[in-house]
Amino acid sequence: MVSKEVERLLLKVQKPGRYVGGELNAVIKDKKQVDLRFAFCFPDTYEVGMSHLGMKILYSLFNSVDYIWCERVFAPWMDMEELMREKGIPLYALESGDPLSDFDFIGFTLQYELSYTNVLNMLRLGNIPILSRDRTELKNIVVAGGPCACNPEPIADFIDLFFIGEGEEVDLEVMELFRACRADGVSKAEFLRRCAEIEGVYVPSLYEVDYNDDGTIKSFTPKDGAPQVIHKRLMKRMDESFYPDNFVVPLVEIVHDRAVQEIFRGCIRGCRFCQAGFLYRPVREKSPEVIDAQCRALCENTGYDEVSLSSLSSSDYSRIVPLLERLTEWTGEEKVSISLPSLRVDGFTDEIMNRIKTVRKSGLTFAPEAGSQRLRDVINKNVQHDELMQTCATAFAGGWTTVKLYFMIGLPTETLDDVAYIAHLGQAVVDTYYNTPNHAKGKSVRVTVSASSFVPKPFTPFQWEPQDTIPLLHEKQAHIKESITTKKITFNYHDADTSFLEAVFARGDRRLCRAMELACERGFHFDGWSDCFDLSKWLEIFEECGIDPAFYANRRRSFDEILPWDHLDYGVSKAFLKKECEKAYGGETTPHCRLKCSGCGAAKYGEGVCFEKRQDMV
Amino acid sequence: MKNVRIWFKKDYECRYISHLDLNRAMLRALHKSKIPIWHTEGFNPHPFATFPLPLSLGFRGVNECMDVKLEDDNYSFEEIITRLNACLPRGIQVFKVTEAVMKAGKVAFADFTIRLSHPTTSTKTILAQVQALFDKEAIVIEKRSKRGLKEVDIRQGIRSYEIRECFDFVEMHLVLSAGSSDNLNPNLIIAALERETGLEYDADITRNDLYNSDFELFR
Repeated sequence: MVSKEVERLLLKVQKPGRYVGGELNAVIKDKKQVDLRFAFCFPDTYEVGMSHLGMKILYSLFNSVDYIWCERVFAPWMDMEELMREKGIPLYALESGDPLSDFDFIGFTLQYELSYTNVLNMLRLGNIPILSRDRTELKNIVVAGGPCACNPEPIADFIDLFFIGEGEEVDLEVMELFRACRADGVSKAEFLRRCAEIEGVYVPSLYEVDYNDDGTIKSFTPKDGAPQVIHKRLMKRMDESFYPDNFVVPLVEIVHDRAVQEIFRGCIRGCRFCQAGFLYRPVREKSPEVIDAQCRALCENTGYDEVSLSSLSSSDYSRIVPLLERLTEWTGEEKVSISLPSLRVDGFTDEIMNRIKTVRKSGLTFAPEAGSQRLRDVINKNVQHDELMQTCATAFAGGWTTVKLYFMIGLPTETLDDVAYIAHLGQAVVDTYYNTPNHAKGKSVRVTVSASSFVPKPFTPFQWEPQDTIPLLHEKQAHIKESITTKKITFNYHDADTSFLEAVFARGDRRLCRAMELACERGFHFDGWSDCFDLSKWLEIFEECGIDPAFYANRRRSFDEILPWDHLDYGVSKAFLKKECEKAYGGETTPHCRLKCSGCGAAKYGEGVCFEKRQDMV
Repeated sequence: MKNVRIWFKKDYECRYISHLDLNRAMLRALHKSKIPIWHTEGFNPHPFATFPLPLSLGFRGVNECMDVKLEDDNYSFEEIITRLNACLPRGIQVFKVTEAVMKAGKVAFADFTIRLSHPTTSTKTILAQVQALFDKEAIVIEKRSKRGLKEVDIRQGIRSYEIRECFDFVEMHLVLSAGSSDNLNPNLIIAALERETGLEYDADITRNDLYNSDFELFR
């Protein structure tokens, strides 16, 4: 529902359907009948935000509570933002059209570091003071969660409280507390202090940070009884965990325009660069029966004819074949197709292929991540060259002619030889195509090789590693380009400048808040979009603030340094990460959770893969 | 197999979605409704639906239509209305289902209601401005085509018009050429007016009915 003022702007902007709401299944409540209003903000465009599963889960969950009305807010694209500013129209929520300042909670999901400027920009567009300390009343509580909350420090001055880990329970506990506090006339400061007692809540204003002369952290001290360590929350039993039977179905086309069914959380693999693989431990699966029922309800309620089975590594679902059998019993007749993203090279079998091929043939994407076997062992990817070729041969025999391969450059211990192997691997896939006797007749093969730049992340074994400098990344990109000799391979690479900024924020500390504040004043937004991103402007800001970005991105940290996120506990011990890092240097791999427990620490939650019967135990 | 024409309104939020988005929303609704619609038989079967005359983004449509093929000749039209509406957003609502009497290509004219206003210009002045435009013998505008810009006289496309002054807007009723061969989008008339006066108007445009070349109501 949008105001007359907004309607006047709509015909002057691109894709106005993003700004009007009114979609099928959007939740409209009577604001007089609810007690608490939550603005769920996704700090990117509508098309990106509406594709995000976490938002769909929490939106439905919050709205299932009678006294809460949760609405959606997205970042307006540049043309709309400019008009809104010009006409003095504050950022509004799509369901009611009410401005952000009307909401009790303003919640952001932090999916990638480059969206931080959008967080601040959205607050500013909503006329909300960006600094937490400037918001003194018990209203407009700004909260944030999602994977980037694992290092909340670069935005600690702006967010009142962070949700650490999975939000399904803790978010509601905080809202319930807010309701009680408001009824008692409690101050915001006291509300935040009480929130800090809830497990999984981090209130940054309750901690003091001191620094050493060399710029590293000296101490991190809680005050007012806040806990020394904040433990993540997680849903122990996925079958009983809330899952929506309904999605808001967008009127305009979005990035992932389909039903999404979560099949498990976590990942058994432990690839050493992968943050999600450690943050969401342990692996917790849903049963095929529950997935089947939830899938069916979703398709029926949304009208989508495609459902994507979502997880960090779909082929690692322990009962993947029975699951696909179950689903294909009805999907064919209902003309619904199943897509399986995040397939591992070693998980693509004939059986899986034939199941997903029955209705629609989607593209095939694999992520070997590194070109040489040596480097794949360093990062613990545990994919063998022959496996990849075998998998591609299977796919080619099955009629596929295009394969996408994802790699990273700048991985620890990487040499230019390792980098050249990326091109060789692409070539080997091309050769495999022509060596597969029954490949598609008369058709050429297309191999897309994409190389992103490695960004060291908190809570991974590589959290102490320096990122390659921008010139070195450019050199490596050029080296791959030169090493490719066929037109059948298309080579894409990710802009090194953005990866550098990502590395700064990923492992930054509170001193970056000042830079964020300046960036907001100067109207920075959409840093994740090449339309907007300009590293030189960021470098100017860092200089003005006396910040050396290389200190965060390119410095090797020592194992005994206090890291900005050391006060958070995601279940994986620092000792384990250190051991993994040392093994990486020796090119020594670690078996995945189902083969052998490596004692990461996540077993303390008492659930999931840690308590499955392992093959070596039977 | 029976050809049926599904009549609907496109208004509220759904005014702001493009024809492509409308098409997808309709296909999803048809899929969800489980009405026995004929599906295409390609590799990715989907419900087959065509639109006799797409509506521009931003316009309200009060008598829009979509053609589908019904696999069950005896399927009730009432049932189609009920089922589809349960699967559509409030901005798109079906109100009638008929047999497709005329071929889709027969559309030759469309009539529009346009409410024109400007924050700092009186309705009297706007009325005079519109009258002055329509009094011209030719209204030449530059139209972007595949071969670059070309000049077109849109006056010929205006078959009839009525203008009246209301409380805070000027209301125009226009009958314009429509269809695949000779189509006049009312946005072009507003653009011509804006070029004449240098003002930027707020225009609320509604498409009412479609007609064939004999000015019979399109059915």
